[in-house]
Amino acid sequence: MKPFEHHSPNSLEQAFDLITQDDNNSYYYAGGTDINLQLKSGILAAESLISLKNLSELKGIEYKENNGLKLGALTTLRELQRTKTIYNHYPALSQAAGLMASEQIRSFATLGGNLCNAAPSADLAPPLIALGAIATISSKFGEHKVPIEDFFLGPGETVLEEGEILMQITVPPPNGETLFIKHTPRMFMDISVVCIAIRLLMNNGICNEIRIALGAVAPVPLRAVNAEAELAAQPFSSNNISRAAQIAAEECSPINDIRGTAAYRRRMIEVLVRRGLSSLNENYSKV
Amino acid sequence: MSINLNVNSKSHEIDVAPGESLLKALRAEGYYGVKQGCDTGECGACTVLVDNRPVNACVYLTRQAEGKEIETIEASGEHPEQGWKLTEGLHPLQQAFVAGGAIQCGFCTPGMILAAKDLLTRNPNPSEAEVREGISGVLCRCTGYVKPVQAILHAAAVLRGEAEPGEMITPDDIDALFISLPESPAQETSEETQTSVQVLPKVLIAPQTKNWKHVGQPEQKVDAVKLVQGKPAFAADFEIRGMLIAKVLKSPLAHARIKHIDVSEARELPGVAAVLTHKDIPRVVYSTAGQSHPIPGPLDSFSLDNKVRFVGDRVALVAAENSEIADQALKLIKVEYEELPSLVDSRLALDNEALLHDQPEYVDFAESDASRNLAARLHIDIGDVDQGFEAADHIFEHEYSVPKVQQAAIEPHVVITYWDEDDRLVIRTSTQVPFHVRRILAPVLQLPLKRIRVVKPRIGGGFGGKQEVLIEDVAAHLTIAAGRPVIFEFTRQEEFVAARPRHPMHIKMKTGVKEDGTITANEMYCLADTGAYGSHALTVTGNTGAKAMAIYVGDGEYRQNPNIRFVADIVYTNTTPSGAFRGYGVPQGFWAVERHMERIARELELDPIEFRMKNALREGELQPFSTAWSEGREPVPETIETNGLEECVRQGRAAIGWDQKFGIEGWHQVSGKPTLRKGIGISLAMHGTAIPYLDMGAASIKMNDDGSFNLMVGATDLGTGSDTVLAQMAAEVLGVPLEDLIVYSSDTDFTPFDKGAYASSTTYISGAAVVGAAQKVADRLTYRAALILNERGDGPEVNPSEIRLADRRATTQDGRFVTLEEIGQHALHQGEQEQIMAVDSYVSPVAPPPFAAQFAEVTVDIETGQVVVDKLVMAVDAGIIINPVTAGGQIEGGMTQALGYAVCEEMIYDDKGVLREQNLRDYHIFQANEMPQMETIFVETFEPSHPFGVKAVAEIPTDAVAPAVANAIMDACGADLNVIPATPERIWKSLKESAELK
Repeated sequence: MKPFEHHSPNSLEQAFDLITQDDNNSYYYAGGTDINLQLKSGILAAESLISLKNLSELKGIEYKENNGLKLGALTTLRELQRTKTIYNHYPALSQAAGLMASEQIRSFATLGGNLCNAAPSADLAPPLIALGAIATISSKFGEHKVPIEDFFLGPGETVLEEGEILMQITVPPPNGETLFIKHTPRMFMDISVVCIAIRLLMNNGICNEIRIALGAVAPVPLRAVNAEAELAAQPFSSNNISRAAQIAAEECSPINDIRGTAAYRRRMIEVLVRRGLSSLNENYSKV
Repeated sequence: MSINLNVNSKSHEIDVAPGESLLKALRAEGYYGVKQGCDTGECGACTVLVDNRPVNACVYLTRQAEGKEIETIEASGEHPEQGWKLTEGLHPLQQAFVAGGAIQCGFCTPGMILAAKDLLTRNPNPSEAEVREGISGVLCRCTGYVKPVQAILHAAAVLRGEAEPGEMITPDDIDALFISLPESPAQETSEETQTSVQVLPKVLIAPQTKNWKHVGQPEQKVDAVKLVQGKPAFAADFEIRGMLIAKVLKSPLAHARIKHIDVSEARELPGVAAVLTHKDIPRVVYSTAGQSHPIPGPLDSFSLDNKVRFVGDRVALVAAENSEIADQALKLIKVEYEELPSLVDSRLALDNEALLHDQPEYVDFAESDASRNLAARLHIDIGDVDQGFEAADHIFEHEYSVPKVQQAAIEPHVVITYWDEDDRLVIRTSTQVPFHVRRILAPVLQLPLKRIRVVKPRIGGGFGGKQEVLIEDVAAHLTIAAGRPVIFEFTRQEEFVAARPRHPMHIKMKTGVKEDGTITANEMYCLADTGAYGSHALTVTGNTGAKAMAIYVGDGEYRQNPNIRFVADIVYTNTTPSGAFRGYGVPQGFWAVERHMERIARELELDPIEFRMKNALREGELQPFSTAWSEGREPVPETIETNGLEECVRQGRAAIGWDQKFGIEGWHQVSGKPTLRKGIGISLAMHGTAIPYLDMGAASIKMNDDGSFNLMVGATDLGTGSDTVLAQMAAEVLGVPLEDLIVYSSDTDFTPFDKGAYASSTTYISGAAVVGAAQKVADRLTYRAALILNERGDGPEVNPSEIRLADRRATTQDGRFVTLEEIGQHALHQGEQEQIMAVDSYVSPVAPPPFAAQFAEVTVDIETGQVVVDKLVMAVDAGIIINPVTAGGQIEGGMTQALGYAVCEEMIYDDKGVLREQNLRDYHIFQANEMPQMETIFVETFEPSHPFGVKAVAEIPTDAVAPAVANAIMDACGADLNVIPATPERIWKSLKESAELK
């Protein structure tokens, strides 16, 4: 590990300045869980670390019925899991956060950090994609917004450019029913073999809006758009649910790794999407 | 750069590097209650509270903690009486952990208590599930979480004012604990939840124990109070001036010769104190196996060699002022390798072109043959197997495999070495075998044995992994080279790549059975993979046969003359060397034997329990292998004196509700969940107790002025509670409460010899030595009591033989007494002065087997293959139970490790010999919130070869969980597994294949 500097800027401007002054061995970090591991293992040779923890612009959880949810990038997984408003209005997001890592990691690992690390198995991405969440990104040159489904470019890669900071995630007001399912060899703390999130809005028994997001089955978290198309503007039946599940399984491109073979993952996507759709459909039938 | 850190309301001005973890900073400040288990945020041993939230200090940057309140275990509470100063005492959580037997090794205890504190702050009245979730980020490898969860629930009640602190086990519980042996079979089943099981197992008592006061009682562990405070009791928690950090350069290749190695740049790096290669130290061949002399296996290892034999093998050793400099030095070492053909698959090992051990110094043992990659070979024939097969109506043949798995003790291997003022080398190490360390290292270091002192402090779990002289030589060579103290601590990654995991095996079974279910012959061929070195190769695999193949002797005429054959090849491969892991070859054997028995029973449509019991070994019969094999030594036939198997089956069957579930059509379905299937399974098990005619334990007891005693044992408590049960036996003989015994284990300078903690032998062997020593002391006590009483002359003359010891008194039959304090003072100061002290040793002529019936209940999702183990019940005959809490803890923890073996743990190598699982994220051990319900039942028998009738308890719980779970999976959904772990994907594949066949 190289010797390096540490900065804790107190304003966004300072934070922006620090990275442009330096060479490209400077890194922003939030909770620091992953960066700490990367430093220890020598994967990362940082010369300068910039802590974002003092930036008030990146903090806060705000929910308004009309505007939805605003989550500062520094929101911890523990806050996502345990904040009542989030749990009440966006249970899938809350569940996904609560199934990640351990209590002691969730205490300081952040939403922003999880998204910026862009692991294919990042469990927060599928529910955020299903919910239609949007990322706000800032740099000294201004601010722009990117839907979460377009935020990831590949394993460890995002749309963030040098000097840009992920500021905030906004989630539209709850619309329909959402659900998150994670499949792991054991129950907890595991990285997903596969995971899915679905948001479904039914009107009079007809599928009005559907979003199906898949995790850990492609280089980036994925939207199963063909499967969604199969169901759009239709009533659900066991036939089209099964078909959509099969299509979702074909849409993904899983790999063989320590947590499962590609073939198994593909079939699990089929099973989980079918179960997820059936369960949401049942919820609507009950109402 | 200097920052201000607030720890436990104290302010510390410290220098900290920008990337330094909070763990490192806190330990540097002396907060040793913060333990390092992985350094990668996975185990939770370093849990501290930052602004009242639990964090893993190892991945928390110290800089992030600036301005925040940090709380470590040191703030929680302390011993209530500190001389004239009284404190508030321990926190209710700490009290509950002590009182409830929630501590085994104690390494994860501080983290668990702090995680529990966070939980109880958020939720003062948690459910059991919420407690399990709350501590799920703190991994424990000892307890199976049963007792920690109960302790937290109890502490929560105390904090709410609903319960009294420290009273986890009430006299009522103790009364309820002991159940007389029922006359009639099959009691009613109970569907109790785990919460109501509480901390005590069910014990069916033997009548001999009736008048005992300390043996059989749920006494608190003698080391619990220090461990619950996070005191610096472990090997790494030791401060000494000028200590260097050792690191090892490890081989990136599976098999290579070191053509050239240049360490000049590394040596010149400022802050580097020593760099050693194979050229710098004497070339001494030895075995790293921590066993008695002579080692029953080949000598094939060197501290450093000119060849590397697995990815992770040692290339060079470095000692430096700090770990960053040591890391840098490793990078400066230039090595030129000549890559050699390598061998990863044990099935290709014999006569492979890749030859691991071509060095002339290799010393064979028995039938080892390095020229064929053969570390050991076994061929045991009992009876006439071929004739037995001819007499059979059916022959069943199948193959089974078991993976390599890791002990994963939460405390990594760690050692500190230094020269003392007498130029003797002190080795303070996390070992199960301090005396073997001293003996084995003496020639390696070229020091006379008498100039080495090995100290074993508290150990954070071992499970066999520390029955290896694995790391002590690294620090010792560097201390010799640099003349300074050295600490060497395995990283978690090194634990995976370079420690000594369980031998993986491929096993072929062939069994002859008559139409009526009588086994006529049973044969096992075992191909065991010892990895790059052959430590424990012969003895681990020998036990695979000698225990697992001993239990089914057949029925009728075959009971007297069973036909059993066991053949094994133990081969070298270019992978992590295998070694001792709790169970020691026997879990591998039972996986094959018990899966095989299940298949036979099902194919012949026999009741699986009746079929097993018809053929199982009974009381009064010979342990068949005792006639043929004794760990490479002369065998002596041994009769089974006690066997509670039948009662174990009866009890376990009732507890799990076998008769309401097995073969009952509706039970296997789950209403409303069409893809779920329930199943139930059984497996029997037997183990051994110690190694007869070989392994010796000794103990000494010394009396003090106040009537207290020092109990000094070489026996090695590594979290098992052996210090406590040994003290209970001494207390019973001496008639004193446990608190009057000051137990010390172990130090080669001060405690008598003991072979160490392995072969399930401490309670039995070391226990018998303790009883012997206590008896000698007791004889002096009654002699001196008679002396005092007769001097006093206030009654008729008494004879020492008429005096009984109890309640700190020596009492005559007519009620006159002398207190032990009076005896102590009299002996040291007043008359016929003497130091009352005695030593005794014990070697066993037998290895009486414990027996067990293991039951499992599972739910399988037939679409995903996901298996949830719902319940494990184990009924065990381990002889007399000295302490039901610690013994219960052994069963719960052992079953939990075995459950990992059954469903999720495995180590896989790629074709280059690179291990896939190198951390606790990829290698998953069970957490508190994914545990099944567990129930332990002890069926006591009185083993006549031991003064308190004990047999072993530690290893048997690892033997039978995997086959019982797999048999239950088969019962649930038909998936018929030959291989563990039973991962969802394996079950899914098995179901898919059988569907395709149809």
